Amino acid sequence: KQQVRSYKYSPLTFLPLNLYEQFQRAANFFFLLIVVMQVCGSVSCSNLTAQTHFMCTTVCLCVCVCVCRGAVFVVCVSVCVVTVCMRVCVCADLLLLCSTEPHSLCFIETFRKQIIKLLPLLFPPTLSLSLPLLVSISCSFFSSAGVVWCEEPNGQLYSFQGKLHWKGQCHLLDSEHMLLRGTILRNTDTAYGLAIYTGSDTKILRNCGRLKVKKTQVERFLNKIVLSLLMVALLLAVGSGLFEHLISPRIEVLSGISANFPAAYRGFLTFWGYIILLSPAMPMSLYITFELIHIVHCLLIGWDLEMYWGKRNSPAQARATSLNEELGQVGHLLSDKTGTLTQNHLLFRQCCVAGHIYGIWNRFSCGGLLFSDQRLTNCLRERRCPESREFFTALALCHTVMSEWKDGLPRYQAASPDEEALVSAARELGWVFLSRTRDSLTLSELGFTHCYRLLALLDFTSKRRRMSVLVRNPEGELKLYCKGADIVILERLRKDSPHQESTEQALEVFAQRCLRTLCVAGRSVSEAQWTEWSHALSQAAMATTYRETLLEELYEHMEKDLMMLGVTAIEDRLQEGVPETICSLRRAGVKVWVLTGDKTETAVNVGYACKLMDPDTCLLQGEELRIRLHFSMCLQTELIKTPEAGARFVSLSNQCQSVLCCRVTPGQKAEVVQLVRKYSSSITMAIGDGANDVNMIKTAHIGVGLCGVEGSQAVQNADFALAQFSFLRRLLLVHGRWSYRRICSFLHYFLYKTTSFALVHIWYSLYNGFSAQPMYESWFIALYTIMYTSLPVKCLGFFEQDMSSESSLRWPEVYLAGQRHELLNPLSLGVALLYSIYTSIILFFLPMGVFQDSDLDYQTLAITVQTSAVFSVTVEIILQTKFWTKYNFAAVAFCLALYFLSTVILHSPRLFLAFPKDYIFFGTCVISLIDTEKA
Amino acid sequence: KYKLDNRKSNVDMFNLTGPSRTNRPDNTAFTQQRLPAWQPILSAGIVIPGFTLIGLAFIGVGVALFVTSQKITDLEIDYTGVAATSPCFKCTSFAAENCMCQMEFTLTTLFEGPVFFYYGLTSYYQNFRTYGVSKDGYQLSGDTYYFNNPQDSCAPYQYDSNNNPIVPCGSIANSMFSDTFQLYQVVNGMKKQVPLDGKGIAWWTDYNIKYSNPALVNGSFANAFSGTVKPVNWSKPVYELDPTDQANNGFLNQNFLVWMRQAALPKFQKLYGRIAEGDYAQGLPAGNYTLLINYSYPVISFGGTKKVVLSNVSWMGGKNQFLGIAYLVIGSLCIVMAMVMLIIYAKYKFTDDDEDM
Repeated sequence: KQQVRSYKYSPLTFLPLNLYEQFQRAANFFFLLIVVMQVCGSVSCSNLTAQTHFMCTTVCLCVCVCVCRGAVFVVCVSVCVVTVCMRVCVCADLLLLCSTEPHSLCFIETFRKQIIKLLPLLFPPTLSLSLPLLVSISCSFFSSAGVVWCEEPNGQLYSFQGKLHWKGQCHLLDSEHMLLRGTILRNTDTAYGLAIYTGSDTKILRNCGRLKVKKTQVERFLNKIVLSLLMVALLLAVGSGLFEHLISPRIEVLSGISANFPAAYRGFLTFWGYIILLSPAMPMSLYITFELIHIVHCLLIGWDLEMYWGKRNSPAQARATSLNEELGQVGHLLSDKTGTLTQNHLLFRQCCVAGHIYGIWNRFSCGGLLFSDQRLTNCLRERRCPESREFFTALALCHTVMSEWKDGLPRYQAASPDEEALVSAARELGWVFLSRTRDSLTLSELGFTHCYRLLALLDFTSKRRRMSVLVRNPEGELKLYCKGADIVILERLRKDSPHQESTEQALEVFAQRCLRTLCVAGRSVSEAQWTEWSHALSQAAMATTYRETLLEELYEHMEKDLMMLGVTAIEDRLQEGVPETICSLRRAGVKVWVLTGDKTETAVNVGYACKLMDPDTCLLQGEELRIRLHFSMCLQTELIKTPEAGARFVSLSNQCQSVLCCRVTPGQKAEVVQLVRKYSSSITMAIGDGANDVNMIKTAHIGVGLCGVEGSQAVQNADFALAQFSFLRRLLLVHGRWSYRRICSFLHYFLYKTTSFALVHIWYSLYNGFSAQPMYESWFIALYTIMYTSLPVKCLGFFEQDMSSESSLRWPEVYLAGQRHELLNPLSLGVALLYSIYTSIILFFLPMGVFQDSDLDYQTLAITVQTSAVFSVTVEIILQTKFWTKYNFAAVAFCLALYFLSTVILHSPRLFLAFPKDYIFFGTCVISLIDTEKA
Repeated sequence: KYKLDNRKSNVDMFNLTGPSRTNRPDNTAFTQQRLPAWQPILSAGIVIPGFTLIGLAFIGVGVALFVTSQKITDLEIDYTGVAATSPCFKCTSFAAENCMCQMEFTLTTLFEGPVFFYYGLTSYYQNFRTYGVSKDGYQLSGDTYYFNNPQDSCAPYQYDSNNNPIVPCGSIANSMFSDTFQLYQVVNGMKKQVPLDGKGIAWWTDYNIKYSNPALVNGSFANAFSGTVKPVNWSKPVYELDPTDQANNGFLNQNFLVWMRQAALPKFQKLYGRIAEGDYAQGLPAGNYTLLINYSYPVISFGGTKKVVLSNVSWMGGKNQFLGIAYLVIGSLCIVMAMVMLIIYAKYKFTDDDEDM
């Protein structure tokens, strides 16, 4: 039997694989060593990184959900026909065979959260098919020996090429026939599919790439500390070897103990002893507490009411748990424009038909269709102007919108908000798009219902930047309607197309008003042309190689000699608080870059509107940039690939107030981020809302996704999810800054307390013959980091505030400290280490001075040193804490009380009598702390 | 990144079926990070007086400690016998057995009592780790099972060459200090013994709880140890440590208990006895004294020294100038820092917020 594995680990491989991943961190290996050596292992605690762990559980969860929800979820392994029912996550990449819907259509929710329809290959004749019958149909499919040819498994989510040989016919397969794993079946009861890729071959798993174990600055530093501890232990071991070799042979009482072994071997044993003694300097609890503080910071981000957007019921969301401190160090913010700075709630504002601009710019109107121009209405009513009729027909036909009828009114579901705005605008003006079938579109034109036969749909891609429909109108004429970006359409117009000049003027006017423009054009197609073209199209569709290019050429052939019908202008208003946010981020020293696919003029105007640029800023554009860089490059079209130009570009842009990149494609966005990452040392943050920003979000150090109109793909790939751009201000200036400060103080203090505690052993070794004699009671070593000193530092990491949130927002300049790494850098950590060495010297040598040449015993010395260690680190945390909530007070008091209480308990005779070996210190605390008579 | 996709879609699936719930965060002081808090600011007005006060307090304590320590008298007599002129030189050769030597000293004033009598060793690593664990706690608590089966921690002082179990086993017991002392005052050419009280010099917990002797067997204490041998270096078995006092034998012998408590540092003293009885309750009067030493413990081989210390104590313990000096130094440092800060403050007139320690 065939088994499909779609999780990362199996019970058998979990341990070796996971261990391999974990031990890529030096510290984890170190801890394993410690745990193995400390046979009792009283503090051992598993330290799975959250990331890999989550991965394993969530993938399993997905499978479980499929099983328990899908009542008819059957994986028929022998035939590989998979039944999927409504609202269930598809579990493998399937070739859709049939479904229970009319025409066997199948609706799925893609990764982008859009509902799209798929075309199955088999068409069951009626609706009321019983399930067994369906299964038998699907099985008959295989009984007649069909063969599916498909490409090698790959990670391209939106393309699939394959062929199906069945009953002597060859069907071409593309992504429209595929039900991908991870998509969700909607509006469809049951669908049947043939499993093509399963398990780790599925496109989504191929696409997710390898999890990179990201090493932060902090981790690298901690690894260094682990290494230096090993070095110190090695030195002490050498000391031990020398002592055993030179001194101990003369001391009969010592040499007698281990006379059988050579000095080098005893030194080797001592090495491990010192590793155990020095290991508390880098305790596991550091990592655990570090993670815990990160998680609490993430929760606090999610809990912030001021980052909660009531309209969409979405709080801020921290999806990655390890990036909080980097939020306080962001130097470059790279932002998408549409949907990020703007609302992406599109309103049809103006249009230009036959050289006339219609529509009133009304800055204060809101909601609904804000377009009313009596002239246009009159013009349409009186059927004076054929171009305007044609224009709106084009708007009502040339789209991929689906209509749903609710309460007697059509509701449109569109892949992009632009389309929805345009179709809705046409509806308001009398051209109502009613419904769509596979090969027809029904419109109501000023009350008269017409049916257009859809002959071909030349779809939209970000490369083509236009879409066209070829229809046969009720009169029987063939018409091509094309809609697309202005430059693309303008260059495909007929030579003598009228109104060209006035249209271009209108485009300019719209751009200045920050409106998004689309050109609509059309042409008549002769029957002969159509026959020839459709023949070529079906030929091209059969081609297995270069199909895309062939189709491209054919489309190009059809979309020419167009007649300009008009220009639409859609307003995309800025989100609330965008100018203020950008302004204060700029004051905080964050370089804001806006990357947009829009035209330069539109982008510049938006830049002014959102205070990205001041009115008196001098703009450096194309040519000037070229001169400045002494290099031939054009920012608008191609990116700087050579390293010198890249470095020069980034250093130039660092002197600029802000950078605006226009006409960039999604891939280029990511390249810009890469460029900034490469040539500047600052932390980059990318923010975007749509699928086209995913690359950028993944490339930047920190990716922020806005839960916008364009689905949630950006959010799913982001480290933080926000509902509004303006929340970014709070996220960076308040949460980021606090997190940075808290984590810095936490790390400094934690290293201080552990190293000053552990390094005492080095000084003591000078006085005990390098014998790895512990300075403290073993219980104290075990409990020191996890009980006696853990709570106050956690409170510091959770609650510390050097400034209130209001002040942080009012003076964004304080954010600069993070960008300059003022709080956490090798120097500051080095100073902290020196300070802890100093403390350890004091901790040991002061009591030593007192105990030297006295009759006080070892246990009393141990109690003295450990009590002073607890006191000095507590005093240090008291000095470090600047924000004393009730929890901080409680934590400090509790830990001190706990120390005394547990010391008294651990030294009690009862425990000693029960376990004489484990509680050898009994009585010491009473005698050394209370009974001074003998001392 | 993939994990997020899946998690999200699962969440969505639940949301679709379940009743729509609000995601509005709770408005509490904790979640909104508006907990009431005390924010101390270390301004010049606090730090400078604070430092001054701490400095003064430390100086006060330091002076008290120093003065007290000065009042304590102590007398150290090194009897290692390295130098050929030393009376104990004759005992340093290996051939010497049961060697006795005498050290003489003179007190010009009254040595106030109660006087403590210590012996001290240097370069003696009693805090060596493997040395410190070389004992059997069960045996020392009087468990006779372990008399015949000493624990492995005692090795190589677990069994003797004839495979007889050693009691008390282990390196610490084996290396017990074996010199004995007698102190005489020379009065008119006559030696008058100064009584050394060796009772109550061990820790109370050691004497009463940690260590205990085995029960008598057939009414005899020695029988309880039958089948075992004394440690290699010992001259007498453990039940005959103190021939004068039957109760001061076995594991509860005071000197044994004192020795078993590990010293903190390689240079240490251990209490041998107290002089607080009879004529010497008020202390040692001025005069000539003779210290008679039964010299048997070898230290020369590892470069160590042996000494006897006579000392009286105060409320702060034995003579220790270090602690007082440390307090004084730190106290004066605080004062100096306070002065420096005051000068800087006066010169630059920082606002309160900028003055930070």
